[in-house]
Amino acid sequence: MKKNYHFTVRYGLYIILTCSVLCPSPLAAVDNSECFECHSDEGLTTESTDNILQIEITESLYVDEDTFDKSIHNLIGITCVDCHADIEELDWNEEVPHARRLEKVHCVSCHEDAGEEFKNSVHMKMRTKGITMTCYACHGYHYVRQMEGASVAERTNSICLKCHNPNQFHEWLPSGDAHFAHVECVVCHAPEVPRHIDLRFYDLITMRFYKGDELIKIIGTNFDKIIQTIDKNHDQIIGMNEFDDLFFMLKQKNIRPILRAELVADINSIAHQISRESAQKTCEMCHASDSPYFNAVSIILIRDDDTVERYKIDRAILESYYVSHFYLLGGTRIKRLDKIGLLIIAGGACAALGHLIIRVLTIPLRRGKKENDD
Amino acid sequence: MSKGRLLYNYPLPVRVWHWINASGFVCLILTGFQIRYAEVLNFMPLTVAISIHNYVGFGVIANFFVWLSYYLGTGNVKIYIPDSRGWLALVWEQLKYYGYGVFVGKHNPHLMSPENKFNPLQQLVYLVVMFVFLPAQMMSGLFLWQIKKYEEYINLLGGIKLLDTIHVLLFFLFTSFLVIHCYFATLGHTPLARFKAMLTGFEEH
Ligand code: HEC
Ligand code: HEC
Ligand code: HEC
Ligand code: HEC
Ligand code: HEC
Ligand code: HEC
Ligand code: HEM
Repeated sequence: MKKNYHFTVRYGLYIILTCSVLCPSPLAAVDNSECFECHSDEGLTTESTDNILQIEITESLYVDEDTFDKSIHNLIGITCVDCHADIEELDWNEEVPHARRLEKVHCVSCHEDAGEEFKNSVHMKMRTKGITMTCYACHGYHYVRQMEGASVAERTNSICLKCHNPNQFHEWLPSGDAHFAHVECVVCHAPEVPRHIDLRFYDLITMRFYKGDELIKIIGTNFDKIIQTIDKNHDQIIGMNEFDDLFFMLKQKNIRPILRAELVADINSIAHQISRESAQKTCEMCHASDSPYFNAVSIILIRDDDTVERYKIDRAILESYYVSHFYLLGGTRIKRLDKIGLLIIAGGACAALGHLIIRVLTIPLRRGKKENDD
Repeated sequence: MSKGRLLYNYPLPVRVWHWINASGFVCLILTGFQIRYAEVLNFMPLTVAISIHNYVGFGVIANFFVWLSYYLGTGNVKIYIPDSRGWLALVWEQLKYYGYGVFVGKHNPHLMSPENKFNPLQQLVYLVVMFVFLPAQMMSGLFLWQIKKYEEYINLLGGIKLLDTIHVLLFFLFTSFLVIHCYFATLGHTPLARFKAMLTGFEEH
């Protein structure tokens, strides 16, 4: 979603701007590289007293620069001191150039919506039991990656599976493991969150996703032109014929990817509304051909910097053999098979009925013959 | 048809197998419709339909092996094997009988006996149904039951959509077969005679 990305960049810069206007101090001047002078040292630790066990513990103060640089916050221009906002300046005369004990970072100061939606969730309510859950229990802090292009496995592994074992609670769910591989937890557990189907090119032999840049190179185009190449009638949606052409093109380039489909949540704060009773348990919501869960279907290509290019496709493609490695029982069934089935069954029934009718009509014939025989 | 000739055509194991199989199929077909058409049918929740379908499916598979061991064990399986020569002509005879002879009161070209129970048409159909369709249905059903566990096999087959296509096409064929099968069973010397035969084991001729 390139547009959105630009939007977030602007939004991010806006936040930084307001921050620095509100607190006009030299803090904006503290550069990340100054912090890394010390904090890129893997051996930098601190001793502190654990507040539960009352014992001395050693904590690492190392921040991995490379991974931090790839984080969404860094990409969007947020610096160390935007989060560690109580560091106003560094006093290089001291061994520790800032306060030894810093304040906790408040994620909600920038992510108000997320905080609002999180307020009534089960993970907030458990405070009454004495368990506090921070935002970064789920997201981490220095290395928050952009989630939009993440697969279901990446999303759930890095979040829910840290604490929950889904095999425990879903005995009632047929093919649980298939669900967990293709459906993100919050799609069921925060059913209000908007969601969509992502299709990604996957190679069965090497068992990995094709990278966006890789595919672009194979097709021999670039990200700005590819949509014109595929969407020939310029209606901003890839239809069945255009899809035919796309696959033909890939075949000519001698690659035969499959499309892996996943049902994931939009990057939306409502994903935090996880509560005890609200999970989606009505299978028919998805497993019906008119399910609203599949209205938004797109192919995504992920660029090397994690940003996502998204191309809407006609939902009917899910119901075709192009997406041959994903079948949502009942929901994305091949409609033509139903017609064939009707023919087969009606054919059998008509044959039997026809035979019966003729049998009844010809009773006099056989009665006559029998009398003759006698 | 000469009356009073009683043939013990259906030994107990065959009858037990048959009725378990028949009720199993009816269950599988009903739940099968519910699973595929959840947006129009609503006689049971999907989870219920799926568990019944899975349990009964395993029942039918187990029952199939009972049937197979009985027929292989007794050597009776030969009644399913068409004569190597001339079977096409015999099938044609049988078809002519059902399409014409039966209406005008001709005699059935096939004379039934416990050793040669099926007419050539039945042989052909049952052979395909029992040795091709049913095993294929069992295999595809088994894979669909644990799609994640059997993912590699499913991928080798070309993906779950194709696997499901096999299962569904066979499902339609079985449903159609069942209708015709039940109808043909009324073609005994009285409409209910063959149903009775499948219950008591004795076929009257
Ligand atoms: C000259 C080296 C040095 C520089 C530069 C430096 N720090 Fe530190 N930092 C330390 C040391 C040493 C500690 C451990 C203090 C202690 O626990 O006694 C520390 C601790 C921290 C802590 C943990 C505080 C706590 O409450 O436990 C944070 C957060 C931190 N630094 C952030 C930063 C940021 C952000 C910057 C850049 C603006 C930065 N540091 C620059 C040396 C440095
Ligand atoms: C997105 C906000 C955010 C940014 C940006 C950020 N931090 Fe942190 N940092 C946190 C949070 C949250 C903690 C966890 C403890 C807390 O709340 O104080 C933390 C903890 C730390 C610690 C303590 C050791 C640890 O890993 O728990 C150090 C040192 C630190 N940060 C340094 C840095 C440096 C250096 C940078 C810039 C390269 C930076 N931080 C940028 C949010 C941030
Ligand atoms: C229980 C785990 C969990 C906790 C705790 C949690 N989040 Fe999230 N957060 C998620 C999930 C899951 C998503 C949606 C990811 C997706 O769409 O795949 C998300 C999405 C987000 C997003 C992107 C969507 C948006 O709102 O723009 C932000 C920002 C965010 N969280 C911030 C926070 C903040 C701030 C907190 C603390 C108040 C927090 N999260 C606590 C799990 C959590
Ligand atoms: C100084 C403001 C600021 C602070 C503090 C901050 N963030 Fe962010 N965060 C942003 C901005 C700006 C973005 C990018 C725009 C967006 O997605 O909302 C972002 C994006 C995110 C995302 C979304 C990633 C995606 O997939 O788009 C998550 C998750 C997130 N932050 C978590 C956190 C957590 C957890 C903390 C606390 C440790 C935190 N943020 C603290 C400004 C901040
Ligand atoms: C940091 C650990 C942690 C993470 C990460 C986490 N949870 Fe939880 N979750 C908990 C704890 C602790 C409880 C409270 C258990 C209780 O109250 O008995 C809980 C409760 C729940 C409950 C209520 C059911 C229950 O057993 O009480 C649901 C549903 C749930 N989590 C879903 C999720 C989902 C979905 C995610 C991923 C977005 C997630 N959790 C991420 C720790 C976590
Ligand atoms: C198909 C929808 C679906 C998916 C996908 C799903 N869940 Fe659930 N989950 C449910 C439902 C519905 C319940 C409530 C079960 C009940 O009421 O008996 C539940 C129960 C739970 C519970 C216990 C909650 C309680 O109330 O006792 C936890 C924890 C949980 N899920 C975590 C997860 C995690 C983690 C994932 C992702 C790996 C996940 N779930 C994926 C639908 C789903
Ligand atoms: C409710 C449904 C069914 C009824 C009422 C029924 C009825 C009968 C009857 C009356 C016979 C004996 C005579 C004949 O061949 O015409 C028979 C035999 C047979 N039926 Fe069915 N049937 C049913 C379901 C099925 C199903 C689902 C199958 C498919 C697997 C099947 C396969 C067979 C076979 C293979 C035989 C020959 C049995 C033998 O070995 O002697 N039947 N059936």
